Amino acid sequence: MTALLTAETGDNIRSMVSRTATAMPREAALVSRARGGDTRAFEALYREHVDRVYGLCLRMTGNVSEAEDCAQEAFIQAWNKLGKFRGDSAFGTWMHRIAVNAVLGRIRKSKREQDRIQAVAQVASSPASIGDSGELRDLSDAIDRLPEGARHVFVLNAVYGYSHEESSDMLGIAVGTSKAQLHRARRLLAQQLKEQGFEA
Amino acid sequence: MNEQRDDKLTSAARQLATGIKPQRDLWPEIELAISEPVPRRSRWMPMFAQAAAVVLLIGASSGLTYLAVKDDAPVVMPRLTPEYTFERAAFGSSYTLGSDYLETRADLLARFEQELEQLSPGERQDVEQSLEVIRGAIDDINAALEQDPGNTLLQDLLMKTYHEELNVMRKVGGVTQSVMSRRDI
Repeated sequence: MTALLTAETGDNIRSMVSRTATAMPREAALVSRARGGDTRAFEALYREHVDRVYGLCLRMTGNVSEAEDCAQEAFIQAWNKLGKFRGDSAFGTWMHRIAVNAVLGRIRKSKREQDRIQAVAQVASSPASIGDSGELRDLSDAIDRLPEGARHVFVLNAVYGYSHEESSDMLGIAVGTSKAQLHRARRLLAQQLKEQGFEA
Repeated sequence: MNEQRDDKLTSAARQLATGIKPQRDLWPEIELAISEPVPRRSRWMPMFAQAAAVVLLIGASSGLTYLAVKDDAPVVMPRLTPEYTFERAAFGSSYTLGSDYLETRADLLARFEQELEQLSPGERQDVEQSLEVIRGAIDDINAALEQDPGNTLLQDLLMKTYHEELNVMRKVGGVTQSVMSRRDI
């Protein structure tokens, strides 16, 4: 069983590496064309990245409508800022950074965060759990109920695998704050999941 | 114990879906937004108008102060152009051109008309120039407000400029009646 899992994992990794290797020059070409005003090329970039951008927005906001707005805003901002994309990081990482800014901007602008928390508390299964199954859905719902700061750090750090340096940079907070928020998030999640009988 | 818990949580979190398909296609709205040329709001005009108005007001005030202290003889207002379109302001919701203002202005204009003949040509020219400067500023601010009606700074500046016009009339005509409050000019 372990050997099978390892072989599958190896295949997955090889496939991912292969796809990434072929995607990079194609992506660079698309970015270059989009920078020149080609909306078809930008649409191709959108199709490639929308799921991860929307996924991040949904996990950070916990609200379908807000997540859609944030994702759209992120792509519109990306279009306007394409000239500034130097290719130092992957396009997907750059998009994530813009998406985080879009989420934070919306939260700052609106007072809807309180409404969101109340709405989440009333809904049994949150929209962010779409795509997750079984116990993961419980975890997804528990993440949704986390306080804003802890939720953002947990999503970037634990779900999307960004380092504390990267996530703190994206969120505009100190690395120490990111670490503290992650610790808090884990404690609160463990507490919530234990209450639900889910053994973390 | 905590480490074990954290490892389990992290491991579970890493299995969560990172890519989630939106329930609807977001592209059409994005395409619409990026296809439209970005409306570039010209900050030049309002800023120019504000700067010009400030400069012009300082000039007008200085001119009037000079006239007021030049001699003790009563200064008489020049003929003013009644057709001046001072009501044209594109105000936002914060201000209104109240009836008090309009009545006061009409009253002042009548007094100035009566004293018109007493002005020396030089004095008359100075006062006319001052009022012209103020009205030019009002026109500039109005034009800027038409572009940016919600600009409270411009609205405020316009109110101050209208007040300045009234002040000129009062100073020159020796009118001492108090005028209405700042927000109901």
